[in-house]
Amino acid sequence: MILQALHALFTPVSLFAIFIGTTSGVIVGGMPGLTATMAVALLIPVTFALEPLTGLLLMGGVYCGAMYGGSIPAILLRTPGTPAAVATAIEGYPMTQQGKGGLALKISAVASFTGGTFSTLILLMIAPALATFALTFGPPEYFLLALLGLAGIVSMADDENRLVKALISGFIGLVLAVVGTDPISGMLRYTMGVTDLFDGIAFMPALIGMFSLSQMLELTGTKQVVDEAALATTKKFKREPLPKGISKSIWLGSLIGTVIGILPGEGATIAAFVSYNVAKRRSKNPQLFGKGSPEGIAAAEAGNNGCVGGSLVPTLTLGIPGNSVAAALLGGLLIHGLVPGPELFTTYGVMTYAFILSLFIANIIFLLLGLFMAPYFARISMTPTNMLIPVVCLFSVLGAYAMNNSITDVFISLLFGLAAIILQKTGFSLGALILGLILGPIAETGFAQALIIGHGSYSIFFTRPQALALWVIIILLLITPMIQIYKQSKQEKKEQTIG
Amino acid sequence: MSRRVAEVLLLSGFLVLAVLLFRSTASYPESVQGSTAMYVRFLGAALGILCALELIFTLKKRRDDDNPPEKMDIAINPVRFWGLFLLLVIYCTTLSTLGFYIASALFLPLSMVLLGARKPLTILLTSGGVLLFVYFVFARLLEVSLPMGTLF
Repeated sequence: MILQALHALFTPVSLFAIFIGTTSGVIVGGMPGLTATMAVALLIPVTFALEPLTGLLLMGGVYCGAMYGGSIPAILLRTPGTPAAVATAIEGYPMTQQGKGGLALKISAVASFTGGTFSTLILLMIAPALATFALTFGPPEYFLLALLGLAGIVSMADDENRLVKALISGFIGLVLAVVGTDPISGMLRYTMGVTDLFDGIAFMPALIGMFSLSQMLELTGTKQVVDEAALATTKKFKREPLPKGISKSIWLGSLIGTVIGILPGEGATIAAFVSYNVAKRRSKNPQLFGKGSPEGIAAAEAGNNGCVGGSLVPTLTLGIPGNSVAAALLGGLLIHGLVPGPELFTTYGVMTYAFILSLFIANIIFLLLGLFMAPYFARISMTPTNMLIPVVCLFSVLGAYAMNNSITDVFISLLFGLAAIILQKTGFSLGALILGLILGPIAETGFAQALIIGHGSYSIFFTRPQALALWVIIILLLITPMIQIYKQSKQEKKEQTIG
Repeated sequence: MSRRVAEVLLLSGFLVLAVLLFRSTASYPESVQGSTAMYVRFLGAALGILCALELIFTLKKRRDDDNPPEKMDIAINPVRFWGLFLLLVIYCTTLSTLGFYIASALFLPLSMVLLGARKPLTILLTSGGVLLFVYFVFARLLEVSLPMGTLF
């Protein structure tokens, strides 16, 4: 069957469809506000006119390309093309400022390729078994998974004081996520009668405001994105080899991304943050994180691309989409009469395996695009700010509007932009705030549903083996940074006493 | 304004928010008092405790520190920073009346001039090029809906 699938795949039409899909995906993912979900959803009507396999290849290519594409503006302009690229922006943009934008793009391409390829391999080999495991996760585990993501907040703090501020930022994000409709009763909360807030504060406009608009406002005081001192080194990036030691972060990110991707409803954003957090914990140079760490980019990108194959495991085997893009893709499958389940791997096996194998080709295409085009993409950071800022502001406004066709979202974006500058200047953590905003709804729904299932007893969070395993991981992730912060604060106090 | 004053003001604001949030859960329906209301109460309590803790840290530091207060500069170039912010507010406000293209055709060159661009041809070509790109890629190819004006 695999041979037949390969035969169906290696035709000029199929290969062309993968190429077009992947390239379009990279472009769409690279534009703030345009997400992979939107691109796949837009493609569904187009695929009506195509052969089912060609349509699927096109959609798969878009999915892979968009996950990688989000990292390009995140690295160069601190404007994450997709929410999953926030962690990449935290590390990638400082590298661009140091004149290492090209290298950061190269790391992102290699890490994304490895993550994507690894997860596709897992999808090909053990999809049905993994899908059954994912189904054993219930609301308590989803709440704990959100906690696992939120544990990353501790990593964003570097001393005792900053830890409290990072935690406050995370809680502000969680509080903002409460705005909208109560997930259990359907009651409207804190919407002030604004219809556009009934679904809550959309995180894409908030993200654009906090990371893109705030950065553009900050840049008004400079002539170029790249620091003057780093301009000379910028021209050398073509010859720069990949830094040593990043392969560990890449493999770690690939594994974490694939596992998190398999869990229905979980997304690439959590995968990227968890991978980033774990990489920081295991790094020999944790002090570089937040200041342009190649390991941070590698882990985050491998993590979010690892989600691609992972999210397709429950989608193809059980019909439960791993995330919103997989849901749009599922729509495309159903339209072509392909019902997820065992039949997809037997009756329609040729088409299904051709689709899975096409993801390998899509990964190769964006790797080549990333490696060869990185020097040209990186030139964006050399554009004078008097031209760059207005254009990025326009695309940011457009991105904030395009998600829900809402002018309110544009103002939310603007408000978040200004708030981000004030919060950053006073030492609060933007990463923690956005993490809280993104994970808030998952945490709240999981917490509330688990308590309902457990008849109000909190023991439900501690009795199931999966939940216990997650507690162990959370505690392990928290212990190391807490000890580090304690040691650092003790050392500082000692130095102050001596001084 | 010094950074410390800004921090105290922000933390006090967050503390008030936490208290209001905690109190607001009393009006939640009875059916969710043990679930979502509990979650929101936890958020309010945790945020309040953390803000109070940080406020104590900040105020304590003030007493210990003999150095002059650190000034908080929001912008390196205030004219450009606040000018761009004002232009963005006007741009966003006019989107629903003038529509995307006219509002953008005004915003782009004005902000470029504000930020120091002086070559009319470059300004014109960049603005025109960006708008054409948006029209062909976003509006025509991807069929993304752009803000429509009520006047035009």
